[in-house]
Amino acid sequence: MSLTYLQFNYYRGEKCSIQATNGTAQFSIPLNSENSDYQEYLKWLAEGNEPLPADEPS
Amino acid sequence: MSILNVNQIQPVGSGQTVTISATNISAGSATVTAGTFTGNLTGNVTGNATGLSGSPTLSGITSVSTSNLTVNGTAYPNAGPLSNRNLIINGAMQIYQRSGISTNIIGYHLDRWEFGASGGTRAVTQETLTTGSPYDEGFRNYFHLINTGASTASNSYREITQKIEAQNVANSGWNYTSSDSFVTLSFWVRSSVAQTYYVKLKTNDGTAQAYGSAFSLSADTWTKVTKTIPGNSNITINNDNGNGLNVAVVPFYGTDFTDNSFVTDAWATYVDPPQLPDMTNTWAGTTNATFDLTGVQLEVGSVATPFEHRSYGDELARCQRYYYKISGASNDRYFMGLAENSTVFYGVMHAPVTMRTDPTLETSGTASHFRVSYSTDTTCNAVPTLANSTPNTALIGGAIVASGLTANQAAMLGSNSASSYLALTAEL
Repeated sequence: MSLTYLQFNYYRGEKCSIQATNGTAQFSIPLNSENSDYQEYLKWLAEGNEPLPADEPS
Repeated sequence: MSILNVNQIQPVGSGQTVTISATNISAGSATVTAGTFTGNLTGNVTGNATGLSGSPTLSGITSVSTSNLTVNGTAYPNAGPLSNRNLIINGAMQIYQRSGISTNIIGYHLDRWEFGASGGTRAVTQETLTTGSPYDEGFRNYFHLINTGASTASNSYREITQKIEAQNVANSGWNYTSSDSFVTLSFWVRSSVAQTYYVKLKTNDGTAQAYGSAFSLSADTWTKVTKTIPGNSNITINNDNGNGLNVAVVPFYGTDFTDNSFVTDAWATYVDPPQLPDMTNTWAGTTNATFDLTGVQLEVGSVATPFEHRSYGDELARCQRYYYKISGASNDRYFMGLAENSTVFYGVMHAPVTMRTDPTLETSGTASHFRVSYSTDTTCNAVPTLANSTPNTALIGGAIVASGLTANQAAMLGSNSASSYLALTAEL
């Protein structure tokens, strides 16, 4: 599944998930190394892509 | 003791039967032959009993030692468990929780089956079987792939894969490090193009190992393919919730992924390339060529036993460990929650079975598909997001309405559109 990573989500001030889209659906990916979507994000980072900005919680 | 030395004993006159009244009959190392034996055969039978017919009753048997026990054409297991034999989930292609997604998406369509592709265009659907050999064996659905845009480019490929959770393989009874222990893969497959295709197995723990094997199809003809695969001392499969074994059926790999140095029907360290030998590219080069698959079973032992048909509910529950979707028409409610302030709502979505790991939240992606309901219905102005997930629950919400909520107010997240859905995904 090819995703575009959008931003981090925050819950009560803590970074909690990564928001992403495949162009139609949206995905909130937990920061858990057993989650295959998060593994894909880490792989995407390892390929030299720009990390998501560490936004302040909205 | 009297000894009768004769060459033949024949019935008198026109009779057909010789009756021997004796407690024991011993043939020594010789063979006793007759057109028909009647009466009871007791004691130790150590030779081969061939040509049994009629309705003989065999009693007192403590073991049947055979590599292939077949009764009325049905093979019986020769290793592994006697129930829950199929390591494949949704092998009959019944479950399609993602029904309605775009047919050209690369990824999951029918539950547990990941479609991988590059080059050209293609479409995946779940189709209904109404006739044919797999129908006669109880299959009513199949995975249908259409090669809508042909491509034989070197980097093109099409594959249909199921990733099996490692602990399901580790606990299956397959002694996977022994070449004397086997698993058997069987499936029904049909293609519009006659040529040779491949199956591929790949382990993922330790040093990854791969196994590829060819099968040939006639055009537009359902064919039952069976592959018996031994263990190998280099295989590692952890007893955990990771990806233990990939089982892939491959309509096409371009030459970036293949080389004729690949040895089929043998395990070897996984390298890429080659993952398979060079493939005939007729199917890949044919616009609107089709490839259909159902009845996939992977079981311990060296024989393919009948497909383990499971009830829809059983199969759905197995799928929901990896993907769980709820959707509804407008006005349907998803779950209760609490307002944190005038714009922020959070509620807990429960998974019906324990999921493989903390799941991702998938939504239909449009804010107006959702509403928060209390004394009134308020359409969302942002898509609900995931605050936290465990294998059993997901905390979902956020600042998803413009105003109107009151802190600590109970409210419900619901559907505002027939296109609305929430899903939890913990695929491998």
